[in-house]
Amino acid sequence: MARPKEDLAVVGKNWARLDGTDKVSGRSIFADDVRLPGMLFGKVVRSPHPHARILNIDTSKAEALPGVKAVVTPEDAKGIYIGINQPLLPTGNVNHVGHEVVGIAATSERIAAKAAGLVEIEYELLPDLTDLRDAIKPDAVQLHEKAKGNIGWEVAQDFGDPDAAFAACDVIHEDEFITNATHNCYAEYHVCVSDFSKAGKLVVYTPTQSAILFQKTIAAAFKMDESDVRMLTLNTGGGFTGRTSARPHHFISALLSRKAGRPVRLRAAGDEEFIMCRAGGEVVYKLKSGATKDGVLKVLEVDLLFDTGAYIESQMIVTTLTSKYLGALYPIEASRYRGRLIHTNHMPYYFHHGGGLAQFQFALGQHMDELAHKLGMDSVQFSLLNGVEEGYTTPDGTTTYHSCGLKECIEKTADLAGWKDKYGKLPKYKGIGLGIGAMASGAKGLFKHDTSAAMIQVNTDGKASLFIGLPDMGQSSHTTMAIIAAEVLGISPEDIRVVSGDTDTDPFDVGAFTQRGTFNTGNATKNAALDARDQLSGRAASLLECEEADLVWRHHQVYSKQNPDNKIAFRKVVDETLNSMEGRFVMGRGYYNSPLKKGSMAFSFGAQIAEVTVDPGTGVVTVDKMTASHDVGRAINPRVVEGQIDGQIFSGMSQVLYEETIMEDGQVMNPSRLDYKMPRAYEMPEVDHIIVESIDPNGPFGAKEVGEGPIVCTMQAIANAVANAIGARVHEMPLAPWRVLRVANNAEQLAEQDAASKRKAVAGE
Amino acid sequence: MAKQIITLTVNGDEHEIAVAPYQTLLEVLRDDLALTGTKRGCTAGSCGVCTVNGEKGEAVLSCCALAVEWDGRSLTTVEGVQEGNDLHPVQQKFLEYGAVQCGFCTPGLIMSAKALLDVNTSPSEKDINEAMAGAICRCTGHIKVKIAIREAAKVLREREGGVADGQA
Amino acid sequence: MQLPEFEYLRPKTLAEGLAALAEHGPDATIMSGGSDLLINMKFRLDTPKYLVSFNAVQEMKAIEPQADGGLSLGAGCTLTQLAESEVLAEKYPALHQALFSVGSKHVRNAATLGGNICLDTRCWYTNQSENWRETRDGCFKTDNELCHVIKSADKCHAINSSDSAPVLIVLDASVTLASVNGTRDVPVSEFYNNDGVDHTVMRQGEILVGVTLPPPKGRSVYAKLAQRDGLDFASGTFAAGIVGSNEKPESVCLVMGSVGPEPKVLADSAAIIKASGLNEESIETAALAARASLGEVTNLFTPSGYKRRLVKALVKDALGELRDLQV
Repeated sequence: MARPKEDLAVVGKNWARLDGTDKVSGRSIFADDVRLPGMLFGKVVRSPHPHARILNIDTSKAEALPGVKAVVTPEDAKGIYIGINQPLLPTGNVNHVGHEVVGIAATSERIAAKAAGLVEIEYELLPDLTDLRDAIKPDAVQLHEKAKGNIGWEVAQDFGDPDAAFAACDVIHEDEFITNATHNCYAEYHVCVSDFSKAGKLVVYTPTQSAILFQKTIAAAFKMDESDVRMLTLNTGGGFTGRTSARPHHFISALLSRKAGRPVRLRAAGDEEFIMCRAGGEVVYKLKSGATKDGVLKVLEVDLLFDTGAYIESQMIVTTLTSKYLGALYPIEASRYRGRLIHTNHMPYYFHHGGGLAQFQFALGQHMDELAHKLGMDSVQFSLLNGVEEGYTTPDGTTTYHSCGLKECIEKTADLAGWKDKYGKLPKYKGIGLGIGAMASGAKGLFKHDTSAAMIQVNTDGKASLFIGLPDMGQSSHTTMAIIAAEVLGISPEDIRVVSGDTDTDPFDVGAFTQRGTFNTGNATKNAALDARDQLSGRAASLLECEEADLVWRHHQVYSKQNPDNKIAFRKVVDETLNSMEGRFVMGRGYYNSPLKKGSMAFSFGAQIAEVTVDPGTGVVTVDKMTASHDVGRAINPRVVEGQIDGQIFSGMSQVLYEETIMEDGQVMNPSRLDYKMPRAYEMPEVDHIIVESIDPNGPFGAKEVGEGPIVCTMQAIANAVANAIGARVHEMPLAPWRVLRVANNAEQLAEQDAASKRKAVAGE
Repeated sequence: MAKQIITLTVNGDEHEIAVAPYQTLLEVLRDDLALTGTKRGCTAGSCGVCTVNGEKGEAVLSCCALAVEWDGRSLTTVEGVQEGNDLHPVQQKFLEYGAVQCGFCTPGLIMSAKALLDVNTSPSEKDINEAMAGAICRCTGHIKVKIAIREAAKVLREREGGVADGQA
Repeated sequence: MQLPEFEYLRPKTLAEGLAALAEHGPDATIMSGGSDLLINMKFRLDTPKYLVSFNAVQEMKAIEPQADGGLSLGAGCTLTQLAESEVLAEKYPALHQALFSVGSKHVRNAATLGGNICLDTRCWYTNQSENWRETRDGCFKTDNELCHVIKSADKCHAINSSDSAPVLIVLDASVTLASVNGTRDVPVSEFYNNDGVDHTVMRQGEILVGVTLPPPKGRSVYAKLAQRDGLDFASGTFAAGIVGSNEKPESVCLVMGSVGPEPKVLADSAAIIKASGLNEESIETAALAARASLGEVTNLFTPSGYKRRLVKALVKDALGELRDLQV
């Protein structure tokens, strides 16, 4: 159902990010750049063992070192828990390599490191679990009393009658995939400056995707009122789903600061980043689906095992969330889902870019590609036949798609990439593959509400200050909000100062995750700007001698739609309102919270086609071309939308082909920017973008999200293209050269045997 | 381990600083001179966020250089790239073409790109890749970065009096 | 990561530097570009009392054509300086390519030829931070008699990742080593030991001051496999040289790098080419022989077995290139 595309003056044009000048000239301040008077430098003493009992901790030598100002041990951290079951510093057992045991603050990083070396900890080694397959064996060591069988969390959910649905299917397909542990690899390492030097008041400078969630958990840990914890976000050097919750270093730096009475900076040094980061753990995916012989998908069964590591931070979210996505792309009649979090002696895991869903789509997208083949279809045909459409309601009944451009995306991508001319017609070792995806714009269910708020103050000169609590980790969300406010007020985004990053002044905002920024904070900003405009309307209408309802605000001017030639300057309206006898000030406020009980108000959709070449000698996969089409509702800032698509194609390509946190005996083997591989300039393919605008009826100016919609398509598209190129499937991510070569060689051998037996058969005739 | 007084010229300003031999150039720039535009990343020469430009404009990994080795030499950091009150074409095009997202790697990318364009205003695709392979960017995936560099090269060629012919 | 504390010495002349090395003996470490050394120092793999920087020694930075048609290269030349050298690119393209393939542009601006030839061997159990290494027992490289890669080994199996070493052997180059006791020339083919700890024949107090390349003979090629271009250490390198025609070669030299503590001269494969000429069939046989002659191949990040497959692909492709190369 095509909705009219509103004619807009500001939205839809390319705007450079408002903080860009600062960022390109070294003026932007990040947490590691903060210098406070008397600031100390922290260091954490970590366990070298995956599983051991702490027998004794002796910090006396460290404390005696000149320059050491505070030492905190598990005794100092009693009662502080993070995640659902992790004591901040362990009093009994250490449960992973790198487990935090003692914190030190000193007058320099060098002294802190020296002191760390003087801490003596005696351990008694315990048998460990470093593979989730071992952890679920009946005789496995039990890591947590409450987690029987080392299952820390389990979600099981059926919709419809899956057994009956399978029984009615003509074709059933089953397979299994693995995605290995990964690391978010932000440019900015983990860092936190905590200042507890004023009694009862804590100030924390740290990069975050959600200052509110950090504030809440830190305040709870220290039994403080939330308002007494002031979070200063400054700039955030990348988020990628990894900076949504406070980590041990945030609490430890605060503990140290409280003890020393001075600010303390704690920053990851080198390989520590891989422990502090807590990215994605290994996941095993068992998938089963059924379809009728005419190609209609009816039922899906999914069983997932997640390595959650030593503790559960928030991975239970992804187990639940994945269950919601079974029915997001295909209107199936029944489904069965089970997701289990398994404890091991790995560092606690969390998520990597894609939030677990992109990785799940790596498995599901390939599974569907195989099912399509079994049905004698290609995946474009299969997706067009089975994909969701506008008006669809998800199986749990929570979410209805009020706009849906999935099929338009698939068709446009396939046309531009030349799918029909290429699929099945490419030379050996060249392949083409499709990936499709759906992604929520915000979601309720994780929290009771999904609220964002905004305030806008209009100044005498016709410019404005926009106050929001949504962090900008690079996605340009602050500029996006300025564009939305500018559109409403009829001014330019460059007239707007975005004020954000300080919980003392920020309006409430849950944060930047579940792709909620544009939709939720966007609606809040729009409401705030409308409120501000309403406060100006009376004066404008009297100046123009027209009805308030007829006012048009555009290009720094205000006029009546009845008489567009009689314009007055926006700044004049503001000036006359503020500098009037009444002396009014103009402060608009607005908020947005999804009216739903659960689920999402909008979903975005996308399709990507990857074209690859596989080197038969080395197994190296080169991505030659990506074609991406995304229904983002409406592109508020098209070049930023493209940038989001590019970044996610990069990240998806990086994860599917390169990234792996290689674990051995519970230890990260490649904890560096050199050995943890991500592609760089040389490896990046050409990307063609198609932006589809379905104009969502509930989004701000029709916009939805582009925060993670693209990445859910990329991994499966590339993996499907590799399978197409070598005629066999690599079931484990990343598709590292050795994995691809092994599968390709096996496929070659099988093909040779097949050909040989056929030759024999022919000879026999 | 006596400290040594060195003379270091940064962005045209001469500084006399007492440094310990084990201090890296990065540490001195950020901690002693408070020039925090140059970022601290992996500190092992692999991510490129600490890149500054040396005397010949070459890219220098300041995390893997000893400050004492820079006695009597000069260098440029991201704070010194701007031309008066205006952005340098590399900065301008990074901004204009969306090659800046989170901004943490941006100083390193700008300095790596400038090192290239200072000596080559008609870079080929390979020249750009070569110049940028030592620098990480998780957000942009390098795609818009490469576009911005090509666009900056056009501006610089025009300045040289040549024709912006869309070469490269 | 921060550097350990040390005294810094900056000799202005070679003689002054050699005297410093003689005076401080095992307490001294030589620094040139520092691109690899400083990281190892941050890892506390090297904690010298004295760091002797040779960066001010101008006499080690020259590129000098020789009367016999050869070329002499100062060990202190940066890889960027060499990559920009027209005479090197023209007369020794394979070496030029090898040097160009080292690290990133950023690294090559600092890294030197001497540093690349002497590049310390690497192992992923060792080239880690001091805290990281605490999780495991020490090894031959640190303070123990153990190799984590090959548990039964009696010596260190860390990898020699010098991109220049294999080509220098093919080009019949030699290095000049200097100490207060004088200088000596050592052919690069005899410069390395098959031991990751003590991986060169350099003695205490010696420094590599330069490389002598004899006049170019025949044709040579260089190939490097790495997961990413312009950044990574190799998963395998290969240099090949042939004098004479493809049909009747006078001499053949094939060398593999990044497969063990020293560059591996592939004598069997070379003999095959020498006997049968350089053609499609002999290339296939030589590639298979290369794979066989490597024996147990250990590697940093790839499962065992993969590297042997790579070797075949690498040798095959590079020999194909060599065959088609016009002088």
